[in-house]
Formats: sequence, C-alpha cells, structure tokens
Amino acid sequence: MRKIWLVIKREYLTRVRSRGFILSTVGLPLFSVGIFAVTLALATRQTDHTLKISIADNLGGLAPEIVAELQENLPDGQPLYQVVRTWDRPPSEKKVQEELSEQIRRGQLDGFLEVPKDILEGNIATFHSQSPEDFQTNRDINRAIDNAVIARHLSDRGIYVDNLSDVVRGVELSLVRVTRTGEAQEKGQGLLVRLSIVMILYITLLAYGVMTMRSVLEEKTTRIIEILASSVKPSHLLGGKILGVAAVGLTQYLIWTLSAALIFAYGAAVGSAFLPGTSVPSFRLPASFLVYPLIFFLAGYFLYVSLYAALGAMVSSEEELQQLHLPVTMLLVLCVILSPIIMRDPNSPLAVTLTMIPLFSPILMVFRITVQTPPFWQIALSLALCVLTTVGVVQLSAKIYRLGILMYGKRPSLAELLRWLRYT
Amino acid sequence: MEAVVFEQVSKRFDSVVAVDNLSLRVGQGAVFGLLGPNGAGKTTSLRMILHILAPDEGTIQVLGQAASGRTQDLIGYLPEERGLYARMKVREVLVFLAALKGLSEVEALKRVRQWLERLELAAWAEKRINDLSKGMQQKAQFIAAVIHQPPLLILDEPFSGLDPVNATLIKDIMLELRAQGSTIILSTHRMEQVEMMCDAICLISRGRSVLAGDLRAIKQSYGKNTLRIEYSGDDNFLDLPHLVEKLNHFGAVVEAKLRPGADPQEILKAAVARGVRLSRFELVEPPLHDIFIEKVSEGHA
Repeated sequence: MRKIWLVIKREYLTRVRSRGFILSTVGLPLFSVGIFAVTLALATRQTDHTLKISIADNLGGLAPEIVAELQENLPDGQPLYQVVRTWDRPPSEKKVQEELSEQIRRGQLDGFLEVPKDILEGNIATFHSQSPEDFQTNRDINRAIDNAVIARHLSDRGIYVDNLSDVVRGVELSLVRVTRTGEAQEKGQGLLVRLSIVMILYITLLAYGVMTMRSVLEEKTTRIIEILASSVKPSHLLGGKILGVAAVGLTQYLIWTLSAALIFAYGAAVGSAFLPGTSVPSFRLPASFLVYPLIFFLAGYFLYVSLYAALGAMVSSEEELQQLHLPVTMLLVLCVILSPIIMRDPNSPLAVTLTMIPLFSPILMVFRITVQTPPFWQIALSLALCVLTTVGVVQLSAKIYRLGILMYGKRPSLAELLRWLRYT
Repeated sequence: MEAVVFEQVSKRFDSVVAVDNLSLRVGQGAVFGLLGPNGAGKTTSLRMILHILAPDEGTIQVLGQAASGRTQDLIGYLPEERGLYARMKVREVLVFLAALKGLSEVEALKRVRQWLERLELAAWAEKRINDLSKGMQQKAQFIAAVIHQPPLLILDEPFSGLDPVNATLIKDIMLELRAQGSTIILSTHRMEQVEMMCDAICLISRGRSVLAGDLRAIKQSYGKNTLRIEYSGDDNFLDLPHLVEKLNHFGAVVEAKLRPGADPQEILKAAVARGVRLSRFELVEPPLHDIFIEKVSEGHA
C-alpha cells in the first residue's frame, strides 16, 4: 500500500509541476475568458465623442424621422450622434456617395447612411463608416431606420403613433421544460451546457487516457520499468499510475470550477454595482446534472484509462502507438458523433440501446440524462453494465500490462495477446 | 544460508525455453559471476531472482525466503538496459526509487546526498536526468541499486560505458559492500573482470548450467596448459602444430594452448633459435575466456 502511495505521489507531483499542466490549467480558462472579454469589450464599446454622420435619403422625407430616433446622449450630456447634413432625394446618388465617402476618408465625417429609393419595398439601407464592426453604433442606426420605416408604413395607412418604440417592442419567449419531476425553467444556455458536458467528458477521457498511455510507454522506452518492476508489483504500479493521473485531472477540474465560481460571483457583484436592476443569469443545475455524470465519469475513466494503459504496454515506440490507439480513440469520437441521436429522441430504441453499451454509456448516458431523465431502471442497468465491464477490462488490462512492460520488439499479434490473457 | 538458491527452475516464453531445469547456489558474501552467451537465459534468471518473473517450475530462494514481493526489498538491481525518468531531477528520482525499496523519504534524501557526494554528482542533484552525460546517468543508476544497502546486489554489466576513473570508483564500492557482507551477482561478458572479481561462477548456455563452482577450483582443474608469451619480433616460431593446439593473439601478448603432454621447453628453444626477444614466458592456467568458449561450443556441438 505504501508503494502504491509513492507511485501515486510521483505521478501526481511530476505532472502537476510540469509546464504543460500549468499552461493547460491556467491557459485554457484565461484564453477562453480572454476571447470572450475582448469580444464583449469590442462589441459594447461606447464612443467617447459625438459621431458626425450624414444621411443620403433617396426616398425623400425619411431623414427627419431617422434623426428624431437618434437622440442618445454621451455620459457628459453631449449628443452621441450629430447629423451634419441630410440630402433629400439628391440628383445623383453616386455623386453624393462619392463625396461623403471622401469626407469619411478625410476624417470630417464618421459615417453616412444611404437610404435607397425603394426602401419601403424592402430594399436594404447601407451604413458607410470606417469601423463597420462597431456593434453599438450599428444597432442604434439600425433601430433608427427600422422605426422610421415602420412609422412611414403606418402613416401611409393612416395610423399615427406618438411613441413608436412602445408599440414595436419585441415579445420574448420563455421556454419551460416539462420533466418527470416537475417543471424547470429552461434557459437559452441549456443546450450549450449539455453539449459542453459531452465535450468535456470526451476531452477528459481522451486527454487523460492518452496521458496514461504515454506515461506507460515512457517507462518502457526509458527502461526504468525494469527497476520499478523489481520494487513494486505491476498491478500496484498500474493502479498508482491510474489514480495519480486521476488526481491530476481532479485538481485541474477543481481549479477550473473554483475560478469559474469566483469569476461568476465577481461578475455578478460588478454587474449589479454598475447596472442596478440587472442580474447575472444563475446556473442552477439539477442534482442529476452532477451526481450521475460523476459516477459514470469515474467508471468511464477507469475503463478507458486502463485500456489506454494496456495499449501503452503493448508497444515499444511512439510510432506504433499512433496506429494502435486509433480504435480506442475512435470509440470516444463515436460517442460525440452519435450524441445528436440522443438529443433528437432520447427515448428511441436506438438511443436506449446506445446508452446501454458500456463503452458508450459514460458519455452518452450522461448526455441522455441531461436531455431527459430516463426511467431509473435504465440508468441503473446502464451503470451496472458499465461498472461490470470496467472491472473486467481493468483486470485484463492489468494482465496485458504485466506482461507487456517487459516485452520489447514487435508488438504482440491478436493471437499472442489472447495467450497473454490466458496466463495466470 | 545461501544468498540465492535455484532448485530445478524452468521458465518458458511461448515455445521458447529460456531457463531449463537450472539449479544453482550463490554463497553469501561472495562475488558471483553469472556468465553465458547472449540469449542464454541470464536476464530471465536475474528477473526471476528479482521476482519480476515467476518460474514455471522449480523454486527460488533469496536469502532463505522464497522469492516474493518481500524479498524484492532485499535486492539492489542495476539492469543492463539503463534508464531513469528523463525529465525528473536526479535527487527526486533517487529518493523515489529508494523509497520504493522501503527507506523513509527523510532517510532516502540523506543517503542520496551522501552518495551523490561520493560519486561526484552533488552539483547535479537538482539537474534533470536528461541533462546528465551517459556516464553520469550510469553512476546515478548505480546509486539507485545500492542506496538501501541491500544484502544482495545484482549488477548487469556495471562497468560498460564508464571511463577507468569511474570504473575504479564503482569497483571500490562493490568491494566495500562485499566486505560489509553483501552478496554480489555480477553478470558480464568481460571475462577479465570476472577473473579479477569473482569468487564463484555459473556459466549457463541455452538455459542450462554448463559449468559452476569456485572460480579458482575450476581453473585449477584445467591445469597449467597455457603459455603466455610477451615478445618482440617474428611470431613464426609458434608455428608448431604438434605442440600448440590454439593461438590467441592480443597484439603484444600471445596465449598458446599446449597440446596434452607438450613440453614448453621446445617452444622456448624454437623462440631462441629464431632470435625472438622474450620479455615474458609464463605457464598459466587457461584464461576464463578460453574456458567460456570451449564450454559454450561444447554445448552446441
């Protein structure tokens, strides 16, 4: 037992202190948060000066209504938009367009809106500027011309409205999922969360499986395995390795979960300080979202990691590994590819069958539970099959590992492998 | 009590018989040479002593106990194929391996420091194994074999790749451990090392013991039938097929195996007659090298 502990400790410490671990643990969330933050900052950036725009109104009479809609102010009270000049049905569309473009180039104008003659028939308006990615401005301009056109349509039909935005307000649709245990508010992120769970399970099983496989092969190629095997039982060595790598994975997830929680808490605090009345959407997941995935994940982890470890023990070089690990990796890829079947109809015979197959259930059953909780007996059966298979596979892998670690040269054929398994 | 006892041990891999009904005894406190051509079953035998492999038939005793996980801690092992965790620091690897042999980590660290000092590696303690030269890695690996002061030490080609200074350092430590009561099993192809260091040997060929026992007794049983001659000049004088059965040239030295009953004086006369200048003319027991070749080829005939 002491020796298993020593193996776990070495596996854990050397990995956690490695540059790769620090990069992937800190880098990945920082990278995704960074991209998100930069996009958000770019999209919602408020200009700090009045934007000078002109309007070329080829329809005629629409410009004043557009101007009336562009009444936002800057924080210092100055108007956000200053309409420098409007052209009402200019004689030459092309000439005006060229002149205004030239003004933008010279910096005299921030942008101009071109309203086509047939805008009421559905043709599109065009906004010319040097920064068409300015989300906020685009939205304001779009809303202004939208409302102006709607007002014109209404007035053409003899309807006059004082406060148009009160009338043309969108209605939001709230989604409620009816589940067996009751009803739960469905947030827009529901599908995203489910797909992320599949992807996280897939990436984790693959990453830690491959990590274990490499580590087994490394001990073979460096030949330290000979010394290890003369000090520790192979099964203890394998067990220690699998548990050590698992501890690394758990550490990584703990760090991510804690920092995500901190970021959300911080975001909520900042959000309510700056924008009273708004609230950050809270991710309140049902317990089944967490408990079952954890159990299935653990079973799947031991299943796949011991398979990968056996692969690592069967070969003597990285090149051989490349081809040999494909069948196992394909099983994991298949889970991701098959997940839409579950999503479309989680209770179809095909979906039920797929979620019973032990090599798939660690990912697909978890996915199915998050889509729609299946009858308990199905979860229990799937889990039992998975755990039983895992126990069997771990034992077979341990046998292959025990013999494989001392074998060099050509990798065993299927027949030889079966002979290995018959050894006691 | 013997350090190692094999009783009719056999080990097969699929259809290949690696060790075939082998019995051998390694006396305690001795330096024991396990010899044999490539593929004779030496490594398999060593692995069975280390309980990395289990025999198919027969029993193996290590220091009075059946070979098991428990006897593993009593053995230090330097495998022929060297290797340590390439990306770990020297100190960390050695403490880890020492702890696996049962030392507490505090004690392991203390001994690692002493050994690194002694083998002139102290400055490299915090370097990665990768950054060490081949010879230094070799020494680090030797530390891993001896750090827990094992009563049984198994060394497979311990001097390969070492310069004479380092080889002497390792040899001195081996003799010191032996003086403290450790038994050393030395597996090597370098017969001159065996002649200088070993008390007893076992020569195995095709998994069977073909020659075993006290090295001196073995050599004496062959009698002084070999002439060792150092000379300058033409070697034609040795062209005496009725007296000389076999010639071994080593450049400055030549070893001539005499036919039974041949008189060395005849060869001396021939040398003087040809005007060859002799600086050495000695009648000796056959070198182990010759005994090895003779025994191994006998088995194949």
